[in-house]
Amino acid sequence: MKKFYFLAVIVVVFLSGCTTTTTPVKRSVAYKKMYDEKPLTILLMPPINRSTNVEAKDFFHSTLNVPIANAGYYVIPTFLSMEILKNESAYDTELFIDNPLDKFRNIFGADLALFTIIHKWDKSSLAAQVYVQVEYIIKSTKTNEVVFKRTGDIYYNASVSTGLGGGLGALADLALSAVNTAATQYVDVARACNKYTFSVLPAGKYSPLYETDTDLPAGNESFKVKLDSNY
Amino acid sequence: MKKIFYVLTAVSLMGSCTVQKPLYTWDNYEVTSYNYVKNSDEKSTQALIETYRKIIEYQKGSRGVVPPGVYADYGFVLLQKDKTEEGRAMLLKEVNLYPESKTFIDRILKIIEK
Repeated sequence: MKKFYFLAVIVVVFLSGCTTTTTPVKRSVAYKKMYDEKPLTILLMPPINRSTNVEAKDFFHSTLNVPIANAGYYVIPTFLSMEILKNESAYDTELFIDNPLDKFRNIFGADLALFTIIHKWDKSSLAAQVYVQVEYIIKSTKTNEVVFKRTGDIYYNASVSTGLGGGLGALADLALSAVNTAATQYVDVARACNKYTFSVLPAGKYSPLYETDTDLPAGNESFKVKLDSNY
Repeated sequence: MKKIFYVLTAVSLMGSCTVQKPLYTWDNYEVTSYNYVKNSDEKSTQALIETYRKIIEYQKGSRGVVPPGVYADYGFVLLQKDKTEEGRAMLLKEVNLYPESKTFIDRILKIIEK
């Protein structure tokens, strides 16, 4: 009997390692409008940066398309869209977040528009840690309604490990952390935030999971998570 | 014997955590595209072009096709470098692979012709 409990505990521990949420709301419930509308193309609006780090905007802008394309969507290419947005004097995302989006439907053929608002980007001076608070809002260009929304408090541990361990390993880790330049590291912070947030995005049309992922957990709308370069 | 059972259970559960093969692979696109936005110099442009080339030639994603936007942005970067014909050819490849891109590719072609 004891062994049964032991095994049960092990099972629970391993299972909890996989789950990303404590309240398993289904995707079909949380993101119902996305399943109803069956969007294909998404426009990444230039992120809104309300943090004190002026560079945070570019860290996010460069790393948004990979997780969303890998979820099965057609992501309108970043550089092309920036050029067109500038040409249309539509580069200031703040002007559009609360306004009709049909313009982007016409210009880009976009079904969705993603608004990314970076609220906080703070480096701790002692530990190699970055705290980011970021809000992601996906709106339908057809109905202007919010179809996906998540806000994350993300603690990113930027120390790098060589995986060697021991005294020598610690020295090697230190050297590697120094080599890993700040910019590359911060690109990775944004990459991890985006990847985590969109890991629960309903699968798009190019994904084999399209329309079969409705019962998977949606994740919490507001979440706190610790991430590192291995995520 | 029971130990083996525990180990097998643990391993199979861990196995269920592993992520399946991604739809597309991107080489080091995130870093090179950031550097390009930041610097837009010859070095960062070359690095980005090299990344696009690798994504196209060594694509290992489960779909086995070039990811959305790669041909288009590659073409756009080539156009910026006055490689008009090569750039235009890339843009057309994007439309071929992803017909939903036609709306804005047509628009960018018009902007270029101005």
